[in-house]
Amino acid sequence: MKLLIVDDEPPARERLRSLLEEIGDCEIVGEAGNGEEALATCGEARPDVVLLDVRMPGLSGIEVARHIDSLEDPPAVIFTTAYDQYAVDAFETEAVGYLLKPVRKEKLAHALRHAGRISPTRLARVAKSAGFEQRREQICARLGDQLRLIPVADIYYFLADQKYITVRHKGGENLIDESLKSLAEEFASDFVRIHRNALVSERQISAVERTDDGQYIVRVRDCGTVLQVSRRHAAELLRRIRGES
Amino acid sequence: MRAAQRAEPTTFFLPDFCAARAVLAVVLIVEIVAIMFTIARQSLHQNFWVDLAACSLFLLWIGLGCAAVLCRSRAWLSRMRPDRASAVAIAMLVAVVGIVSEVVYQVGRVSGLGLLGRDDIFPSDHAGFLLRNLAVGFIVSALALRYFYVTAEWKRSIEMEALSRIRALQARIRPHFLFNSMNTIASLTRTNPARAEHAIEDLADLFRASLGDAHTQIPLKDELEIARTHQRIEQLRLGERLRVEWDIEGLPEHAQVPSLIVQPLLENAVYHGIEMLPEGGTVHIRGELVQDRIEIEVRNPVVAQQGYREREGNRMALENIRQRLELAWPGRARIQTDLTDGEFRAKLIFPFTERSTHGL
Repeated sequence: MKLLIVDDEPPARERLRSLLEEIGDCEIVGEAGNGEEALATCGEARPDVVLLDVRMPGLSGIEVARHIDSLEDPPAVIFTTAYDQYAVDAFETEAVGYLLKPVRKEKLAHALRHAGRISPTRLARVAKSAGFEQRREQICARLGDQLRLIPVADIYYFLADQKYITVRHKGGENLIDESLKSLAEEFASDFVRIHRNALVSERQISAVERTDDGQYIVRVRDCGTVLQVSRRHAAELLRRIRGES
Repeated sequence: MRAAQRAEPTTFFLPDFCAARAVLAVVLIVEIVAIMFTIARQSLHQNFWVDLAACSLFLLWIGLGCAAVLCRSRAWLSRMRPDRASAVAIAMLVAVVGIVSEVVYQVGRVSGLGLLGRDDIFPSDHAGFLLRNLAVGFIVSALALRYFYVTAEWKRSIEMEALSRIRALQARIRPHFLFNSMNTIASLTRTNPARAEHAIEDLADLFRASLGDAHTQIPLKDELEIARTHQRIEQLRLGERLRVEWDIEGLPEHAQVPSLIVQPLLENAVYHGIEMLPEGGTVHIRGELVQDRIEIEVRNPVVAQQGYREREGNRMALENIRQRLELAWPGRARIQTDLTDGEFRAKLIFPFTERSTHGL
């Protein structure tokens, strides 16, 4: 069994490592001190199980788990926490594996035997009831074995085609495997739907123009792309950019 | 015709009528009622002053008699259940009214004034006079006791609330800190037993301080030592990420302060600031004596956006310190906070007190 330990505190990682060595029958393929490192290591080392601290600087453990899930064949996740009543309650209700620090060896062994993958919907519910921002700060795109984090603030628009969604952002373009509908709901405050297949950052709209044939188009500020506005979404778009609610 | 007096420490609902203030209040209220009665009867009687004097005399006998009875029987009544005590008290008060009324009638009859038809001073209708007074006495006693009971309950609930607030204000170590420290110690016992031992000693010191009496004041030197102890434990856990700069040369070490006013600020700085930054950061603690005021400022970098719950926790800790400062120096101490350019500052400002003269 291949394991990845994620905790921002060196003594906590050290303790887990020594416990795991005692339990045996597992190989620690990496350690990470924060969420970004964890995602990078996850792609490279392909662990079977990730021991993930909930409260970490940057990406929280729960957010990391949501991103990890976009990997192909994602690893199982066991959360660890010293004290977070909200998170623990959420784990209990969603039957998500977790361990309380200081972790007991028997409980760790038991959790490893029962570790399983956590579905994104359950994670979203956990994030919500644990009081974490439900709305992600980053979107995770998969590049082969690598995960790439795209800050939501850098995104110009999402464009859906048959199977995937293209994310156009400051750093280029990536494909993500999510639904446009759920993205539209999650980022409803900053993004506006202009077409069945397009979701645009409101801040990035430089102009809405009407073409000769009566159609509306949107110009995206930084990249200059022109996007079609469907008849159905035109009214909503105009209302939002005029600042009416 | 009795007045509720300042709250007694006892839980019994009747005020202490032996107290001079209570007697004075009884006299004043009796006089007010007498004036009220006399004015109400002015249409029938022309001689206001004689009328007032008679009425006052009669009511004062009743009022002071009732006060005396309640004063003497208070200890006895307080051993009963409240409903029983109320019934007994009402019976006694009605009895006092009856006795005084009877005496007044008899005095009037014997002195002969009552038979002269001067019923403006002494009553002539024996049974009517007695029954009227007993009925009024019963109603007024019942109302008064009810009033005392409700007031006492209200005072008791306010006192309880104040007490529980003081208890709640007792600065507590965050569970988050406790369990993380335990985890660190669990790890150190394997790798570095000597350090683990120190960490346990530090943790014990911190808990001793937080379990102390919420009212006590300690020398500022000790409070700063508690904060340093806290820093040592956090340092084990966070390593290089936590840096603390102390600039407290100007602080008078012997100043008296409520315990745990600086340490929670450091704890907050770590919990909401340093810990949430991947690279960590520096907490600056600066203190100085400005004229007769002590100012201690703790500032730390924070991440751009924090979840709602995080801010809420921070606000509660600061509110706790603010209230304890207020209890120690009412109106003369404050805590200022501000968040600018990704830096959070909390500044304590309180008077320089050398000896603990400001108990609660």
